[in-house]
Amino acid sequence: MLAYIIRRVLQSLLVLLVVGLVAFSMFRFVGDPIDNMLGQERTVADIERLRDQLGLDDPFVVQYWNFLEGAVQGNFGISYRQGRPVAEIIADRAPATLELAAVSGILALGFGIGLGIFTAIRRNGFSANLIMTLSLVGVSLPTFLIGILLIYIFSVELGWLPSFGRGETTQIGGWSTSFLTESGLKALILPAITLGLYQMTLIMRLVRSEMLEVLRQDYIRFARARGLREKSVNFRHALKNTLVPVITVTGLQLGSIIAFAIITETVFQWPGVGLLFINAIQFVDIPVMAAYLMLISVMFVGINLIVDLLYFAIDPRLRIDGRH
Amino acid sequence: MRHILLATTMGVALASPALAEEFRWASTTDPQTMDPHAVNSAPVLGFLNNVYEGLVRRGQDMSVEPALATSWEPIGDGEGWRFNLREGVTFHDGAEFNADDVIFSYQRASGEAADTSSWFAPVSEVVKVDDFTVDIMTSAPNPIFPDSIANWMIMDQGWAEANGVTEPIGEGENYATLNANGTAAFMLESRQPGLETVLVPYDGWWGDAQHNITRATFTPIQNPATAVAALLSGDVDMINPVPIQDAARLSQSDGVDVVQGIEARVIMLGFPHQAETLKYGANEGDANPFLDVRVRQAVAQAVNVPAILQTIMRGNAEEASQLVSPAMRGYSEDLAVRPAYDVEAARALLAEAGYADGFTFGLKCPNDRYLNDEAVCQAVVSMLAQVGITAELDAMPVRNYWPELREDNFDMYLLGWSPGTFDAEHPIRFLAATPNEEARLGSWNFGGFSNARVDELLPMIQSEIDDTARQAMLDETTQILQDEVAYVPMYVQPLVWGVRDNVSLVQRPDNFFILRWVTVE
Repeated sequence: MLAYIIRRVLQSLLVLLVVGLVAFSMFRFVGDPIDNMLGQERTVADIERLRDQLGLDDPFVVQYWNFLEGAVQGNFGISYRQGRPVAEIIADRAPATLELAAVSGILALGFGIGLGIFTAIRRNGFSANLIMTLSLVGVSLPTFLIGILLIYIFSVELGWLPSFGRGETTQIGGWSTSFLTESGLKALILPAITLGLYQMTLIMRLVRSEMLEVLRQDYIRFARARGLREKSVNFRHALKNTLVPVITVTGLQLGSIIAFAIITETVFQWPGVGLLFINAIQFVDIPVMAAYLMLISVMFVGINLIVDLLYFAIDPRLRIDGRH
Repeated sequence: MRHILLATTMGVALASPALAEEFRWASTTDPQTMDPHAVNSAPVLGFLNNVYEGLVRRGQDMSVEPALATSWEPIGDGEGWRFNLREGVTFHDGAEFNADDVIFSYQRASGEAADTSSWFAPVSEVVKVDDFTVDIMTSAPNPIFPDSIANWMIMDQGWAEANGVTEPIGEGENYATLNANGTAAFMLESRQPGLETVLVPYDGWWGDAQHNITRATFTPIQNPATAVAALLSGDVDMINPVPIQDAARLSQSDGVDVVQGIEARVIMLGFPHQAETLKYGANEGDANPFLDVRVRQAVAQAVNVPAILQTIMRGNAEEASQLVSPAMRGYSEDLAVRPAYDVEAARALLAEAGYADGFTFGLKCPNDRYLNDEAVCQAVVSMLAQVGITAELDAMPVRNYWPELREDNFDMYLLGWSPGTFDAEHPIRFLAATPNEEARLGSWNFGGFSNARVDELLPMIQSEIDDTARQAMLDETTQILQDEVAYVPMYVQPLVWGVRDNVSLVQRPDNFFILRWVTVE
């Protein structure tokens, strides 16, 4: 078990280093930050001085090395655009993204599993079929379109919910939360639905098909033949055995909820790290882009690791295999 | 699905309408800093004009009017300018304004670390005469100096020293990048970079407040569709800009008005005046046809500007004949006609120049810098095709665009220019003068246009005190640039703002949004 974990951690580190290398080799194609940083009246000498100061003319391997050197000491550099330490900016913005991701994740998981079970048990019912049909919308419509659609219905036409932003936030320690104010909670609704819709339909469809699979198994038939109550058969015996693939997918989706928050955050002007990243690309704010990409890859790698370890916990067969 | 949507929105009460005097506005760009000397860019200077003031300021029609100086007059034969300062002005923290703050702000804004230092290139010395009189001496007579410092904002010396911000910082953070202490009608209450900036009126302001705002909140919204939705739903009271394609629809929506005007920015085509060969397309390596003035003239006549304005700009822009728009000082009234759209004449000119069969070249264009820039370039490509020359369009984000132009990687390019001084001398200095790094001339003259007479006229224009004589020289320069077809000015870019219909405001051609002219009913 320990050897397995160590091996996985080392693999993860390698993945991180490669991601960073790829990222830094791409930055030069994103563009040149200099013209955004200097005014109209700059001279060629100003441009060269600043390029030199920022190390933009160094080979990307050198830039990457400098970044890594700072990063291991917890120093991610200074944002070109905001002039503040990148770590500070990301710490400022992270609560917004994490809260949004958490709410959408819970929505997706709750409704996804619930509706998945429902449509599996009542698989020929009218409402189950209706839900399945509608879920195609969630899978096929792009996020930004759903977001804009929701804004037009609930903000512009009905005027119920705010069209952008996070509402009023409360500061608790270093964490700004929008859970404690009415406007903050209202502001969460549309972005959370937009962000979680795809994941919800995905989980729902997955739970449904797994569940249908399991319900056909012999042990379920025997359980029914034994006269166990329907509830107990469905939830204790069937559901439990559908959860392994659901955990894998949920784990990976949790990562993409945070990573794909970029689009939702842009549509709703949600002040999280995704929006920060988009703005950083427009401004060629290399320190912010680098830190964000590293952060996201750390997260993905970490989630994968946790999912792998959870298998161990849930599926006893893996544990036996592991001892060989 | 529908069930879920309803379930989650059911319990939500109706959003309460905003208080009338609270004003919220949104724009695509967040000002990078609150330091008026650290970054010389329009979003920063435009925003800070509400918080800081200069010796002079611009009125609703862009004319220069007294602000922290009550009057000014030239000294002797143009050795400098004397500014008489306003008495009884206090900064937001209560400190009194006097000549020491002006001297300090001069040193701060003209120093090595400042991005605004080029404004003070003509200045040799700033002298305190008494507590409320300052002489700004220039190395040569400088008639437009008061015009050129409308964005030079005065900072309190005591405040800057107490907070350790006697020097601006462009690429970093200090107290002055997040806090502000000006003399203008609004105070900075809070600042969260990239998220929200809140201003409140300053009760001790020296002027008569014309606004009725009690609190103003600025939010940057990058996505145009989000901004439009926020305006329609009443979450914000004003957005800048409105996407051109949404303007017509928005103006018909209930509760929303569209305010249109023309900006100071002239959009033009530029040529390689120095390159010996073409760099792109089938004729790569062949002699550069744009060295021939007839070819440049043919391009000018082949571009159907009215059609571009009608279709791509939806009738919102105005034709341009020279490097500045009519709203600028020094505009040449007599040269206000741009070359007529005439396919036959263009073809004849090309034939005369030996290009009857046309040629192929590369057109570089930004796709996120100016309003509908890429669409304009595409239109230019098809219009040039009608006279037999084939442009291969390469459109790219502006962050890749300027480096390409600096590397001379173009056969023709698109450029927009907004003169920072609102004077016709500005584009001559940056776009028409022979590039000269030392003298800080021609720094945006990517094509390397060079004309001895223009170079000779420029310093004369800069130091001519007499308005009539100065205008004559500006006219002469404009005439040369038109005759030589140094550039093909096409149109003046429109300004399109969206406001709630209970808001009245003033749209200044420099695209600065001035809060003290806003009233909310």
